[in-house]
Amino acid sequence: MADIRSLPALADRRPLTSPQVTLSALPEGTVLQVIAGPKTPDLTRLAGEAGLVARAIAPGQWFLVGNRPTAHQDMRRLLAMLEPDASGIDQSHGRVRMLMEGPMAAAVLSKGTAVDLDPTVFPPGTTAATLVGHVSAHLTRLDNEAFEITVLRGFAAALWDDLALMCAEYL
Amino acid sequence: MTSYRLPQGGLIDRSKPLSFAFDGKPMLGFEGDSLASALLANGCRLVGRSFKYHRPRGILTAGAAEPNALMTIGRGARTEPNIRATMQELHAGLEARSQNRWPSLAFDIGALNGLLSPFLGAGFYYKTFMWPAAFWEKVYEPFIRRAAGLGKATHEADPDSYDKRWAHCDLLVIGAGPAGLAAALTAARAGARIIVADEQAMAGGTLLSETATIGGEPAPAFARQCIAELQSLPNVTMLTRTTVFGWYDGNVFGAVERVQKHVAEPVSSVPVERLWRIIAKGAILASGAEERPLVFGGNDIPGVMMAGAMRSYLNRHAVAPGRSTAIFTTNDSGYALARNLEEKGIDVTAIIDPRENGGETYTGKARLLRNAMVTDAHGGKSLSAIDIRTGNGTERLKVDALAMSGGFSPIIHLACHRGGKPVWSDETSAFLPPAGLQGLEPAGAACGLIDLAACLADGAQRGADLAVSLGFAATPATFGAIAGDASATPAKVLWSTPGARGKAFVDYQNDVHSKDLGLAVKEGYGHVELAKRYTTSGMATDQGKLSNLNAIGLLAEARGVSPAEVGTTTFRPFYTPVSFGALSGASHGRHFQPVRRSPLHGWAERHGAVFVETGLWYRSAWFPRQGEQGWRESVDREVLNVRSNAGICDVSMLGKIEICGPDAAELLNRVYCNAFLKLPVGKARYGLMLREDGMIYDDGTTNRIAENRFFMTTTTAHAAGVLNHLEFCAQTLWPELDVRLASVTDQWAQMAIAGPKSRKILQTIIDEDIGNEAFPYLCARDVSLFGGALQGRLFRISFSGELAYELAVPAAFGDDVAEALMEAGRTDGLMPYGVEALSVLRIEKGHVTHNEINGTVVPTDLGFGRMASTAKPDFIGKAMLQREGLTAADRPRLVGVVPLDPGHSFRSGAHILAKHAAATLENDQGYVTSSAFSPHIGSTIGLALVKRGNERHGEEVTIWNGLRDEFTAARLCAPIFFDPANERLHG
Repeated sequence: MADIRSLPALADRRPLTSPQVTLSALPEGTVLQVIAGPKTPDLTRLAGEAGLVARAIAPGQWFLVGNRPTAHQDMRRLLAMLEPDASGIDQSHGRVRMLMEGPMAAAVLSKGTAVDLDPTVFPPGTTAATLVGHVSAHLTRLDNEAFEITVLRGFAAALWDDLALMCAEYL
Repeated sequence: MTSYRLPQGGLIDRSKPLSFAFDGKPMLGFEGDSLASALLANGCRLVGRSFKYHRPRGILTAGAAEPNALMTIGRGARTEPNIRATMQELHAGLEARSQNRWPSLAFDIGALNGLLSPFLGAGFYYKTFMWPAAFWEKVYEPFIRRAAGLGKATHEADPDSYDKRWAHCDLLVIGAGPAGLAAALTAARAGARIIVADEQAMAGGTLLSETATIGGEPAPAFARQCIAELQSLPNVTMLTRTTVFGWYDGNVFGAVERVQKHVAEPVSSVPVERLWRIIAKGAILASGAEERPLVFGGNDIPGVMMAGAMRSYLNRHAVAPGRSTAIFTTNDSGYALARNLEEKGIDVTAIIDPRENGGETYTGKARLLRNAMVTDAHGGKSLSAIDIRTGNGTERLKVDALAMSGGFSPIIHLACHRGGKPVWSDETSAFLPPAGLQGLEPAGAACGLIDLAACLADGAQRGADLAVSLGFAATPATFGAIAGDASATPAKVLWSTPGARGKAFVDYQNDVHSKDLGLAVKEGYGHVELAKRYTTSGMATDQGKLSNLNAIGLLAEARGVSPAEVGTTTFRPFYTPVSFGALSGASHGRHFQPVRRSPLHGWAERHGAVFVETGLWYRSAWFPRQGEQGWRESVDREVLNVRSNAGICDVSMLGKIEICGPDAAELLNRVYCNAFLKLPVGKARYGLMLREDGMIYDDGTTNRIAENRFFMTTTTAHAAGVLNHLEFCAQTLWPELDVRLASVTDQWAQMAIAGPKSRKILQTIIDEDIGNEAFPYLCARDVSLFGGALQGRLFRISFSGELAYELAVPAAFGDDVAEALMEAGRTDGLMPYGVEALSVLRIEKGHVTHNEINGTVVPTDLGFGRMASTAKPDFIGKAMLQREGLTAADRPRLVGVVPLDPGHSFRSGAHILAKHAAATLENDQGYVTSSAFSPHIGSTIGLALVKRGNERHGEEVTIWNGLRDEFTAARLCAPIFFDPANERLHG
């Protein structure tokens, strides 16, 4: 039978690099959307055990993300562990993550988002759902000069191209 | 041409000469020059022709309000009309051309209009082009449109890039003159996040043209020190060449930065203009004040200039205004100019001051004429003399330059962009900003203050107040003693000079003179808004920045009321013109809107798909093969192949929503009109979702993955809307339900495999048995593929009416899975098919889409009446379904339609008439909702919504296409054209 390979959404987009800003695609690993019921689950332990990091994306909602894919059986086990307080929805293929970093990363992103990216207002670890240009995305500050942008797979290439244009003056 | 450049002084860099051309004539300027200052330095006074009378015009101001010196800059695709020479920085190689003249600026045929001026007064167009009425559209309007406007835009595509950016700050300081710098320093020192925006290339505002000293430092040096301190602070962003053009709700300010409008060859990767949207907790409006012209005869002759502008050219750009200069001033600022001119050795012939005691502290050599007025200026293309009226009669003086100053009007446009009205002040003879603005604090000259000390102190105090209100410990910055500043005596009000014989212009850009305004009042258009429209005063690119107050004063005089009673016209964004490039930013070309790509896009592309835009998605429409003549041939082949072999179609863009939680089934049971509570795990069900008014909102299949987990599909068009609807229901209507909703549209690559051979082909890659017994119609389960290499979801559902499945696999695997299926189905004739074939297949089976679910139909209209549960206590839309109108017998009902002659055709949207009935609205019985050529029927087939259509099968009707005036004889029939017993579906 055929050798079935995965085709990353940004497979044909090469990283953009300069001392001012870099843009690269993060590995298409794991994105697990967690939605809590009335009780908020303790995600810290679960995420830690699964090698994932939690991003709070909305009240009672998180993305648990990681650079490595989670095997089908492991994902089922994770989903079961979340119940009944929360439900997990596998979005590992539904969302694509990119990394923008460098001293001008915030300046580039401010071309697309109305979120105040001052580190005192939007410190590392914070996530916001926002438009980046025309495309809705989740923006997470990883550190002062690094941002993760999580976007619907179908828009990934278009957003990349928009971000590349936004970066152009710093490349 | 004589040089008027002074040998020393100014803020220009004489070591950096710049060559440029005006109307093809080569000239030289220096770095630090504006185009206007460079033209003046080259002795070029005549720079343009006026709009209406084509009068010779010179440079009047040194800033954003310039009404005369509008030029076309650049060449080719970078040609830009109506650029104010006063705002254009000089750069090497700059090419500027005058406008609104032919054949040349010096000899302009259009100047003949001046001879016709007695007939071209206010209201000329309204009075003249009234009759004959039929001429308006074909003759008058085209003529007026051709005559309107000054410069001509290029038709070439703009080669440059633009972008937009958001910014946030505690305090936005608009204008970096004395008050702005004082406010910025005060708040910045306290630690507030500051953005300072100034429209000039060099911050400093009037300080750059000022000769007073502050703490012993010349004003320009003081400004440089302030700017250096601000630039050294990490909490300050300095934006020069940036005009704040609007104040919007939420304390958002719009600003445009001219990033590369001052360079010969813009760097292609850098935008030429950047539009800023600045969200500020507070803002200081330190926009300064506009000097008012005086209204006397010939006040537009080149050589007549605003006194402040003359001072700016003199002190900042080291340009002498002429050889002999007169100053006509109603306030003390004119004397500061006189002192500066004399210090630089330029003859000041006379100072004409209408005040009794004007110039008491003036000690210069110029002849001082008090209680005097300039009534007329003379000179054609360059000023040669002025007439002065004093108590002793009229005197003519030979001068080649005249400065005028009628006082100062605070620049308060932004303060009025959110509805505030300017407030007239008798004390300052000016309109002041409205009081009590939230989030915007006018300061300095924008509040009517005149002298430097007051502006600095006011800026510092207001900056401190705002910073403190935002929680910063701020104290007003203090500065050293000021020496050499003009006194702050208010101007004498002088709206016009009696006895003028020549045209006394009020609005230079629109050629509106004082008599026009008088005429407007006489003819009943004295209201300030009517007068604007009647005379055009205050229109066009400058929107009356210089002229409005004089116009209001003249209207007040003519009406015999105070300017307060006349009021102002409405200030709206933009403060100055903003290019469409800046407004659209990067959103053009392929960045105009994002493309949403299916995970199977590449697969479809490789197989030759022709794509069609569906919202933001690109869907494969059909897959042409070599030798096929047109799309119909491809679509027919795809349709026939699905029914005889098998086809594969990308349906990834259908909306997919996971509904989880203990109350998921209950939520579905309430939003669908049919029952879902007892849907077994592993089964799919077609569902109809109604709106509150009983009309069908959306349809799709939903399957139960687990007891508390459902997988809903929606139409492509309503994917986001349905999720929003469900969220609204869950969060607002029934917050007691514990449900969790997530869009998974992008998680899955989904493909429909339809046709009698679909099972055989699919079975080659699916590990489990998918035979009819193991996997019957409406079965929906997780499946293993490729010997356990991959997990997917398989649904036994069909839109084509064939034995069919939809297979969903994680999106990144979609491409390879589709190729594997193509390979597996090669010997069985598997072919890709697109949405056109999909549409034919579904019409043949009478399956509805949003062509039929168009917001006007209830379930019964489409034959789904029995789906609306009568057993359920409630569902959205239930109550309204019983309305009389929605149960009426003559409602439009879904019906099939075929032409009597298979050689004839019809189109969707065409209307149904009773056979041979006249084509009238009264006879309209419904319309065709979908149509296609069916290769199985051999003719066009259609679905239609027709009155009592379900009872009229077999009736002959006429299909009327009113747009094409086509009539097609047709027959109504059952809305299912192929396999009416649905045998193939269950095969």
